[in-house]
Amino acid sequence: MKQIQNCKSLAIGLTALFALTLPVQASASFEDDKDKDKKEDEVEPVAEKDKDQYFLVHNADIYTGTGTVLRSASLLSKNGKIVKIGYDIEAPGRDYFKGIPEAEREFRLRSLDAQGMRVYPGIVAINSSGLPGTNGDFRDSVDPFSENMVLGLSTGITTTGVGRSAVKLKRYVSYEEPLPYDFDGIVLSDKTYASLSWTTSSSRRDAREKMSAARDYLNAYRTWQEEVKKDKELAEPEKKGVDSTYLEVLTGETYARFRAADRASLLGIARFAQEFGFRPIIIGCREGWIVADELGRAGAMAIVTARERRDKDERLSAEGGSSIENAAILTKAGVQVAIIPGSNGVDLGGIAGQDIMHLPVEVGFAIRGGLSEELAMASISTVPARMMGISDRVGTLEVGKDCDLIVTDGDLLHYQTFVQYTVVDGQLVYDKEEELYFAHIRPRPEKEIAPEEALDAGENPPETKKVEEEEEEDEEGDDEDKPKDKEEGDDDK
Amino acid sequence: MILNTLLLVASPLLAPAPAMPDLLAIKVDRAETVSDGTIRNAVILVENGKIAVIGEDLAIERGIPVIDMGPNSVAMPGLVNAYSRIGMDSRGGNDSQPGNSALAELYPAHEDYDEVLETGVTTLGLYPPGNGIPGRAVAIKPRGSSAEDMLLSDDAYLKITLRSDSSSKKMIRNGFEEADKYIEDDKKARDKWEKAVEKAKKDKKKKKDDKEGDDKKDDPDVGPYEPPTPNPDAKAFQDLRNGELRALMCIDSAGDYLHLLDALGEEKISWDLRVTVTRRLNLFYVKKELGELGCRVVMEPILTNHPNTRRLRNLPAEVSEAGAKLVLIPRSDRLSDQRDWLHNTGEMIGAGLSRETALRAMTLEPAEMLGVEGRVGSLTAGKDANILFFQGNPFEPDTKVQAVMLEGEIVFGELN
Repeated sequence: MKQIQNCKSLAIGLTALFALTLPVQASASFEDDKDKDKKEDEVEPVAEKDKDQYFLVHNADIYTGTGTVLRSASLLSKNGKIVKIGYDIEAPGRDYFKGIPEAEREFRLRSLDAQGMRVYPGIVAINSSGLPGTNGDFRDSVDPFSENMVLGLSTGITTTGVGRSAVKLKRYVSYEEPLPYDFDGIVLSDKTYASLSWTTSSSRRDAREKMSAARDYLNAYRTWQEEVKKDKELAEPEKKGVDSTYLEVLTGETYARFRAADRASLLGIARFAQEFGFRPIIIGCREGWIVADELGRAGAMAIVTARERRDKDERLSAEGGSSIENAAILTKAGVQVAIIPGSNGVDLGGIAGQDIMHLPVEVGFAIRGGLSEELAMASISTVPARMMGISDRVGTLEVGKDCDLIVTDGDLLHYQTFVQYTVVDGQLVYDKEEELYFAHIRPRPEKEIAPEEALDAGENPPETKKVEEEEEEDEEGDDEDKPKDKEEGDDDK
Repeated sequence: MILNTLLLVASPLLAPAPAMPDLLAIKVDRAETVSDGTIRNAVILVENGKIAVIGEDLAIERGIPVIDMGPNSVAMPGLVNAYSRIGMDSRGGNDSQPGNSALAELYPAHEDYDEVLETGVTTLGLYPPGNGIPGRAVAIKPRGSSAEDMLLSDDAYLKITLRSDSSSKKMIRNGFEEADKYIEDDKKARDKWEKAVEKAKKDKKKKKDDKEGDDKKDDPDVGPYEPPTPNPDAKAFQDLRNGELRALMCIDSAGDYLHLLDALGEEKISWDLRVTVTRRLNLFYVKKELGELGCRVVMEPILTNHPNTRRLRNLPAEVSEAGAKLVLIPRSDRLSDQRDWLHNTGEMIGAGLSRETALRAMTLEPAEMLGVEGRVGSLTAGKDANILFFQGNPFEPDTKVQAVMLEGEIVFGELN
């Protein structure tokens, strides 16, 4: 992917600024920690931090998803949230974990050297089926060992919409000391959209009637809210007969989602949305490229399949049918576009190449139709996150968001690229070399992930290093040198 | 020499008599005691249906009938099938009935039990029908004129089925809630009773103070404390909590195991695991956790495939190597599977399961799981004389059970 440099977005400027200020903060804060530990020595209570879990990716080109690319940078997460992105970030050193048994340190701190690799935000698939296990009540039915979940993670998907839920692909990670599975962390939202129908004339009438009822109620309620301040006796307006789903759409709590393909329906939805002042999401949107301007004006968002192929209806004289340029044209008109493949499940036998495992490939086809790479990335990260109302947690790599990321060996949208690692909530949940599916194809030269305790060669430091370090012996656990230790040790062999 | 002549004298006397003598010495080349390893040239002294002594080359007192089983003979404890419904044919639903017991269904005259004995299974753990929480299992010996006669234990374990859905988790939580409720009711009733007693005492005192003459009238005696109507469903879960009863959690996958932990939450009860071994079972994902927990895992001796591959996995071996206690059961309740049980296990041994573990997993471990290890499960002095005799390695496909002894009686085949 070519580097994105000519961006105007405000967010990018902010992030860049942020990234610049980070290194100073980072080194400073950990210096503090070290000093503190030294002063209080071993009496330092570990109760506070004994549940803290760190994950560090370093040496990677970090594509934050906000438009910035940080070359050879690092990212640190604490307890599943990103705390630092930038340069010269060090994970808390050995001293920090004083009092915690050796065996537990693997779980406390993992670090990943991603030299020559890229880090992207985890992919958000707007719609899929079967990835977290059986459908339905995900908290109580998720299968953390399901093969589909692994295959989803191997694609780079970390969050997906299933039905009305937004679900994280969390696997059970086994450490020295078994941890309970985080059942409560799976479902991000169980009300990501309201499904409205626009297929038949009666369903359209129904939608319109219910929407006007909801609007009338809302107007009455707001008037009452004002007036009740003066007259406390005033009765609240009757809510009977008002569909709460439609209320939620009008108040912006959730987005209305329609399934529509042809030009006439799309225009109808656009007018309907403009009349009542809400933003519709349209799945399919096959002929959206014809009415892109109208959809853009209505603030519509679209979920499209780039490779959809359908000829125009020959009975109509107007333009019609599918177009590979659909996504590109829609985004130019201001319609936010999320992309899904033709089949939303893992399909190893049927239409291979168009199932959910080929989501990045599908996006590649949208690029072929003229979509910019930046917007193409957004179509499987920020846009779907926004559509599901979970963009405060996933979609980009920013401080404070969930540490859901993927490490790839190349451009994510290139068909030869493999996802090497997938991290969800700061936990390594997929390693290409460890799973049987793709380990045999272009294997990685050597194992790059190691628990910090392995890097921290306390027992058997290499001979060469020992001489250099003699002067600094008082400063035990100087972890800045540790990764080098490892590398040199390997060279010796 | 003397022994031999004794034997010669003894055997013609024994042969026509169907009943075994009260005291009998049996010499075998190898005795797999399970509890104390293998004893070569072992002598087993059986007295009144119990193993009186077992040891290597023991001197045998004059007058005790001796049977020498020959140079290739092997004795091992009778097999214990801890998870079975042999001889039972009712069906159950998916609901929660922890108060039920398999005892209600036990039919002593069922011909299956005779057939099962012939395969070498001398102890059965029978569970009530159905998924959900069907109730308590019982441990029996497959022979007896009445249910009481057959019964070894009536609270072997409580079967609980867990599937990955909210309803089965709820079922478990409800069980504990019901137990809580019963305790609360009991406490309330007791408080009420105590108050009544106190009041009665006061009244009595008052009356005494008032007038001694009126005392002839009956005191409103409160009587002894009566707890609320016992609830067998609540009792089962109370017993789980007290440690008087173990649960057998039936699951189908590694994911179910995590859901089980989620369902149990903070409850501290002791439980074992029953995992149905299917072709694509992925239990290896949590074997480390199971090992750390050290629970028993009840499995069939079946080699499985790693999911999506044709790579063979020996899950029973993996689980036991990780540290969990293995309990093997026949592949099904069919008679043929009881008969092939030893040979199927032999296959697992060939694929890496340790022979010692396998022996234990068919005898002592299930006996401990059923809570009847004091009576069966190993060739140990003091335990019931449930002994199987073979000519050759019991796990070899061409070795057949030569004789089955149940509590000192030969119930199948014959000794030399």
